[in-house]
Amino acid sequence: MIRIVTLATYDEGDITHLSKTLYRSFGVGTEHVGERALPKKAERSDGRFDAIKLLGDASPVRAYSDDKVLYITDKELAIPKGPLGEPPTWGYAEQGGDRALISTFRFKPRGVTEASIEVFRRRLARESIHFIGHLWDLHHCYDARCAMHPSWSPSLPDDPEFELDAFCRDKSERRVRLAKT
Amino acid sequence: MVTVGAVRTLGKRERADKQEEASSPVGNISSSADLKPGDRVVYPKQGVYRVTGLEQKDIAGQRLEFVRMSREEDGASVLVPLGKVATIGLRRVATASDIEGVFHYLGATYGDPELDWKVRHRDNVERLIAGGVLGVAEVVKGLHSLSRLRPLPAKERELYDSSRHLLVNEISVALGVPDVIAEDYVDFALMPPAGVKLPLKTPPIPVELKGPPWKRKKPVVAEDDDLGLAELGIDLSALEGAAEGAAGSEESEEGEGAEGAAPASEEGGEEGEALPAKVVEKVAVVKATVVKAPAPRKAPPPPPKKPAAKAAPVKKPAPKPAPKNAPKKKGMPAKKPAASTPAPPKKGSKPAKGKKK
Repeated sequence: MIRIVTLATYDEGDITHLSKTLYRSFGVGTEHVGERALPKKAERSDGRFDAIKLLGDASPVRAYSDDKVLYITDKELAIPKGPLGEPPTWGYAEQGGDRALISTFRFKPRGVTEASIEVFRRRLARESIHFIGHLWDLHHCYDARCAMHPSWSPSLPDDPEFELDAFCRDKSERRVRLAKT
Repeated sequence: MVTVGAVRTLGKRERADKQEEASSPVGNISSSADLKPGDRVVYPKQGVYRVTGLEQKDIAGQRLEFVRMSREEDGASVLVPLGKVATIGLRRVATASDIEGVFHYLGATYGDPELDWKVRHRDNVERLIAGGVLGVAEVVKGLHSLSRLRPLPAKERELYDSSRHLLVNEISVALGVPDVIAEDYVDFALMPPAGVKLPLKTPPIPVELKGPPWKRKKPVVAEDDDLGLAELGIDLSALEGAAEGAAGSEESEEGEGAEGAAPASEEGGEEGEALPAKVVEKVAVVKATVVKAPAPRKAPPPPPKKPAAKAAPVKKPAPKPAPKNAPKKKGMPAKKPAASTPAPPKKGSKPAKGKKK
């Protein structure tokens, strides 16, 4: 089961849409656990939040074995700088683990029009699928139409698809089947 | 779950030996004495392992010593015989400076990918085994570049995923960051965001594989054509006769050697222009391979080759009238002792029926 935990206030419609999308993508039940406080200790001096620390400090949620927990925040995230620089961070997940975190900071503003809300929801769904995919041990995909394609890729369209491609879907389905207790 | 390394690697012993000879990436472990409990090593195509200790086991009445290693990713155990440590391609986990070189390599521009999938696949597998961390990066980068031209076929997609997994795993261990972040680094180098210019340096040069691909092709061709040789006949003199007079009616429909003969047909293309049947191409290839790759079993046949070659000009006029009597008669007595003689007539009978119809 996938449990969604919000670390900021989100529209209930957005979360409901997300739950349905995750269920459709992975075939696993999804529920919104509720809102939790943001761990302030994870904040860095530059105002961004350390993604690894934030996920580590986030308040735990009662979950069974094989459950996946998705945290959603609106704060800007940061990860350690790599040899070639720091990649833009849209979220973080424990590869093959059970906790993931996404940030809506880089999303286009939700706005109030139906079109902008739709774009926001699609992006929310896409990033959620991406980081939950990492929890199912998926790696990044070269196909820009797949949700596992890197979020900052220049070949990613403005309003990207939020479905997995055939290879990633098969792999995730295998993992889900194996993981079911 | 325990996997005994000896059992798994026995079939690949020769290949592993050759690959180890072919290249020597930095950090290769050449002796079991280099291993201590607690060491982190990379098992080619498997991942990062931690040495847990030495063990003795009685197997088939022999007391053998093994190195026990545990995969960090999932805890799977492997037992490697001490004598095999040097040949399975174990190496140390790459250092941070090695990893930096990998990123400069990933970020550098890439030449045209190899388009022949056979050569590409063989190279990739060899790089994964013997190329070190840079070899793994080479596979990822090569397949990634290819994926920009067209979608990867299923097998290569699997290979791309597994090699990416190995690379990410090793980078995460070497840099001490989680896997997801290591993968972000990899993709940041492979496909940087728009407007970002990477501070790239001269990339390191990957370990060279064992010669150019066309040289590594030959043994495979020879193996494939060995079957053709056994099927076609015994003597080269008979083969020459078949090349000129047999007209390929018996075996022209055989498609078994299509894959193996594909690269060879290029070599035999010069002769193949004049000779109509595929048999002739096979014969030409067989000649070439027998001369180039002298196998111990084929040692006896070479002596008859020379007289056959010398007698060839004398015999050549003889086959000319032969087509009138049909080549089967000549071929049959020569193949009497061979077990494969019944096969050709069956195949030959099918086209005959077809022709009649």
